Amino acid sequence: MIKVEKSVPLKEKIHQFFKDQGKGKFGDVMVLGGGISGIQASLDLANAGFKVYLVEKSPSLGGKMAQLDKTFPTNDCST
Amino acid sequence: MVEADRHTNIEIFTYTEVESVEGQPGDFRITLTKKPRYIIEDKCTGCTTCVENCPVLIPDPYNQGLCTSKAVHIYFSLAVPLITYIDEECLYLKEKKCKICEAVCGNQAIDFTQKPERVEIKVGAVVLAPGFEIFNPGLKNDYGYGRLPNVITSLDFERLLSSTGPFEGEIRRPSDGRHPKRIAWVQCVGSRRVTPGDNSYCSAVCCTYTQKQVILAKEHDAELEATIFHNDIRSYGKDFEPYFKRAENLPGVRFIRSYVSLGREIPETNNVTLRYATPDQGVKEEEFDLVVLSVGLNPPADALKLAEKFGLQLEPHGFCRVEPTNPVATNQPGIFVSGAFQGPIDIPESVFGASGASSQCGELLNYRRGKLVKEKKYPEEKDVLGQEPRIGVFVCHCGANIGRVINVPEVVEYVKRLPNVVHAQEQLFSCTTNAAKEIIDMVQEKELNRVIIAACSPRTLEPLFQDTLKEAGLNQYLLEMTNIREHCSWVHAKEKENATEKAKDLIRMSVARTTVLEPLREIELPVNKTALVLGGGIAGMTCALSIARQGHEVHLVEKDSELGGVARRIHYTLDGMDVQSYLSDLRSKVYEHPLIHVHTNSEILEATGYVGNFVTRVKSHRGTAGIKHGATVLAIGSREYTPKEYLYGETDKVLTQLELEERLATQDEGLTGSQTFVMIQCVGCRNEERNYCSRVCCSQAVKNALKIKELNPEADVYILYRDMRTYGFREDYYREASERDVKFIRYEPDRAPRVELVSQGGKEFVRVAVTEEIVGQEFGIDADYLVLSSAVLPAKDAEAVSQLFKVTLGPDGFFKEAHVKLRPVEFSTEGVYLCGTAHFPKHIQEVINQANGAASRVLTLLSHDTVTSSGAICVVDEDKCVACAACMTACVYGAIEFRTVGERKAAMVNPAICKGDGLCNAVCPTGAIQLKHFTDEELLSQIDAAGQEEIEEEMEKAVAAM
Amino acid sequence: MCSGRVDLQFILRALMNNMDGVFIGGCRLGECNYTTQGNYYALGLVNICRKLFQKIGLNPERLEIRFMSSAEGILFVKVVKDFIHKIRELGPLGESEGLSQDLLNLKLQALAKLVPYIRLVERERLRVPEKSEAAYREFFAREDVDRLIDELIVEKLNLSEIMLLLGHGPLSTAELSERLGEKPSEVLHHLSTLSRQGLVRFDLEQKKFAAI
Repeated sequence: MIKVEKSVPLKEKIHQFFKDQGKGKFGDVMVLGGGISGIQASLDLANAGFKVYLVEKSPSLGGKMAQLDKTFPTNDCST
Repeated sequence: MVEADRHTNIEIFTYTEVESVEGQPGDFRITLTKKPRYIIEDKCTGCTTCVENCPVLIPDPYNQGLCTSKAVHIYFSLAVPLITYIDEECLYLKEKKCKICEAVCGNQAIDFTQKPERVEIKVGAVVLAPGFEIFNPGLKNDYGYGRLPNVITSLDFERLLSSTGPFEGEIRRPSDGRHPKRIAWVQCVGSRRVTPGDNSYCSAVCCTYTQKQVILAKEHDAELEATIFHNDIRSYGKDFEPYFKRAENLPGVRFIRSYVSLGREIPETNNVTLRYATPDQGVKEEEFDLVVLSVGLNPPADALKLAEKFGLQLEPHGFCRVEPTNPVATNQPGIFVSGAFQGPIDIPESVFGASGASSQCGELLNYRRGKLVKEKKYPEEKDVLGQEPRIGVFVCHCGANIGRVINVPEVVEYVKRLPNVVHAQEQLFSCTTNAAKEIIDMVQEKELNRVIIAACSPRTLEPLFQDTLKEAGLNQYLLEMTNIREHCSWVHAKEKENATEKAKDLIRMSVARTTVLEPLREIELPVNKTALVLGGGIAGMTCALSIARQGHEVHLVEKDSELGGVARRIHYTLDGMDVQSYLSDLRSKVYEHPLIHVHTNSEILEATGYVGNFVTRVKSHRGTAGIKHGATVLAIGSREYTPKEYLYGETDKVLTQLELEERLATQDEGLTGSQTFVMIQCVGCRNEERNYCSRVCCSQAVKNALKIKELNPEADVYILYRDMRTYGFREDYYREASERDVKFIRYEPDRAPRVELVSQGGKEFVRVAVTEEIVGQEFGIDADYLVLSSAVLPAKDAEAVSQLFKVTLGPDGFFKEAHVKLRPVEFSTEGVYLCGTAHFPKHIQEVINQANGAASRVLTLLSHDTVTSSGAICVVDEDKCVACAACMTACVYGAIEFRTVGERKAAMVNPAICKGDGLCNAVCPTGAIQLKHFTDEELLSQIDAAGQEEIEEEMEKAVAAM
Repeated sequence: MCSGRVDLQFILRALMNNMDGVFIGGCRLGECNYTTQGNYYALGLVNICRKLFQKIGLNPERLEIRFMSSAEGILFVKVVKDFIHKIRELGPLGESEGLSQDLLNLKLQALAKLVPYIRLVERERLRVPEKSEAAYREFFAREDVDRLIDELIVEKLNLSEIMLLLGHGPLSTAELSERLGEKPSEVLHHLSTLSRQGLVRFDLEQKKFAAI
């Protein structure tokens, strides 16, 4: 379980942020799940200036959509 | 997938799970466990030599176990990363025997000593997108699944259809590999049932994916007979209704509305019989070669564990509990959810939900945006203008994909003799990091100024090789890719010699084009950091607020005198949200936000400009203003259809659902005291004129019926419907309404209800006659109120707005997005986005989700200082231009304008708007306008080279004869 | 690059390079990648081009256009196989249609010279008002459209062929008629048009026509 602490003022946040940087693997957002939704979230975040860790439990990205032959209603390829 | 893989701001961990989480928003510490692949990721090239030599067969997980794979294998042909992993079934892992893979790997990439590895990461926010699990009909042996070989799930069938499937795209049934001729689909397997082990909700996607499977199966085999046993057909999404009709109208396709039960398996053939009932023929038993169970969506398998680790609450079905007013927010601040963990949803909702979650992260972490990202640095570009072409050709084996069919060394020898080629070599995998380095080294060593990669389709890897060229100091437009895999080795696998000759032809053609390729400049356009949102309903306000919260100025333009849109007439939702208080809260947040400028009573006079640099003239009572903005969001909403049918407007006894809701909300006594209500669904849509489903009305009817029952439990409510489309969790409310004795009567469109106004004993009521389809009997109901579930129509000004902003409308008159599945909140016109019901009718929660999604896409544009436009665009040679305007009529983007050159006019292309389709090039009578990178000269020289071989051969023959 | 970028001169150039057939693949109609619906341009071009093939004595089936999505691999394979089969049946270009190599080259060159003009004609007179497969089929089946092509393009084509031949030196009506495989009366008719336009003159001494 994680604890929710009281909101921290912005100034402190920024201070903390710079203090933490450089320690270990430091990113902005973790996206859990490498299916279509996880990939889209990662791309949006990465393209909007955030460093993303994308974590997928299977050996490849793709999720269920990669198993689909085509998608309705345009019958476009899904992979 | 490849885009995510190549993105410098994304680090991917596959085969990895979350172990623990601690911390708070802005500062989460997460421990990950990387499972051992027994493969050194950096060393594996994906050549699959180990796979070929592995002796252990396992059921292929990607192909649903319908065929086998090896214990060491690549997950699927387009896997990211494209490397192998070793399954636990491996002989060495189980019995310490074998290790053949280690011996055959040329790159020493196998490492059996790997152990699970812990990685700690620190992040400010989390997006959970764990997806869904498919319902497993094997648990209860539904329809004999698991016991009968020819009963399979829809996902199994999906694999059968696929060219990368177990039979390479041939539909063969499991028992004997025969092509099935009679296939039955059984809908709602595991969904819409309250029996233990089943799901009470509707899985929301199965109706339409079944239609897709039917259409595709018929494409595979036109003779095939398809029978679909269904309950309601829920074609509620955009373009779904015509799609259903398309499937339904195919020859040999039957949609039968009936529950089915398993008959028996016929021992000789393994065929399966199903029992069903039709109104005219009673109970029947019919034999099928293959039965496909359209299984629904379950919560992800590890939902409980995830909930525990992240401290999340789940909703009763086991999906993530989300806020009705913000479907990506969980009970834990800083932890967001997207995709099917929100509930059973289709791909577009998953995609804009993901963008919505991203936007919420952006709001939370705006203070640190851009601090951690890296920009790639490239060496200075060499000037090759005026130099003799020096071409380097790299011919890829693609492991065995190309090399097994095409004689690569022979091709390389041939290529070396071609004009302007100064270097040619083979590579095992041109796409590996090592190979890229080799290319860069060769560019330097041999002073190459043009590069050809003869490998796969440019579709996926062209950006990678362009990048390699940039790293080598060459302009990326000096790259040409020759596709000798999809276009050659894959399709001519059985004709090795011909394939080798074709590869030579293809490369010779590429050499000809490459010789005349020019370096091209990409233009950096500045981005104005302001957004303009048109439409002040829930969609527009939500979107504006999210953009503003991420630090950008927003102009919110509304034609009405106040904000709120159609939602002003909606008071409650099925899940109990108080819409009016939400709306007034949202409205004050919008007004209070310092970065949002609200323009009410305003209309758009003119919209000009292009991505990053729009100028829109807005007129209000304060006068006219030109607003400069970088992004545009169109959220102009929709309106309710004013019925022409069923006596609407002729008596106050006939209302629309919205009118009913307004009166229920005020607890109008005339209404609450009434006894009988009849609702008619699909008024004004699902017909010839409007061939779409308005998506929200079934739930709206159920909602209002429940409200009536709440206010007056004794009231009689009848809902006359065609298909109840209470998709997703809304199904539970449909059931509740049934339990509360709301009566649902199905009618066929050709036997629509008939209504008349009747006066009896000084009281006026509406007499409704309807034929009940199951018993075939006509009912008469005297209703105090007749309520019409009338269609949702596009906004009145949709067409005008589409013309102003140069975007397109779909056949239904709603805005047409760039891609119905993958780009649901943007237009193909760059820098213009959409959300809300202007896109298609949808529920409030979906609107909020989509509005946040649009905000996220806007941020991917506005968070940059510049946008780059492609160099492969059209350019005019003013001397040749005769100002005939042929190009201007061909360009629907409006990228071409006249400008004055000296005494006369000439066409000019705005590089920021041109998309490089080249239509103008093909219609220009003087050849003045040319599509760069695909000029007449480049393409003609390629065509000439195609014909050369024959001439060469003839010459050789002639020489030999002499 | 859109299938609408495919140019008449690309098709002609392929034939001049001894290709026996040309296949154009485009996105499905109504499902445009660029939203410009440029594949209809390609469809229009193919219709016009097939008619011109007919006019110069080539089998119009040597040019084929089919529309499909990138996901329709099976369809693509079938379509390409069918096309190759058809072209094999038709045999080598020109020869199978009874055109000598010289005459074939002449006709293709004459047509290639007219490409800019044909583009103008297409835009002014041969553009189908509605973007649907049925509308295109109907438009190009119309007799008046056929006549229009005869009047506007074929006439010019004949003149262009004669001018190309005269480019190598003066020829008599009989010689022209033989090389073009046309009746002397028709050749004379074209020659008088050309002389009215001031493009050829009759050399009294040689009794031959010469380009000016």
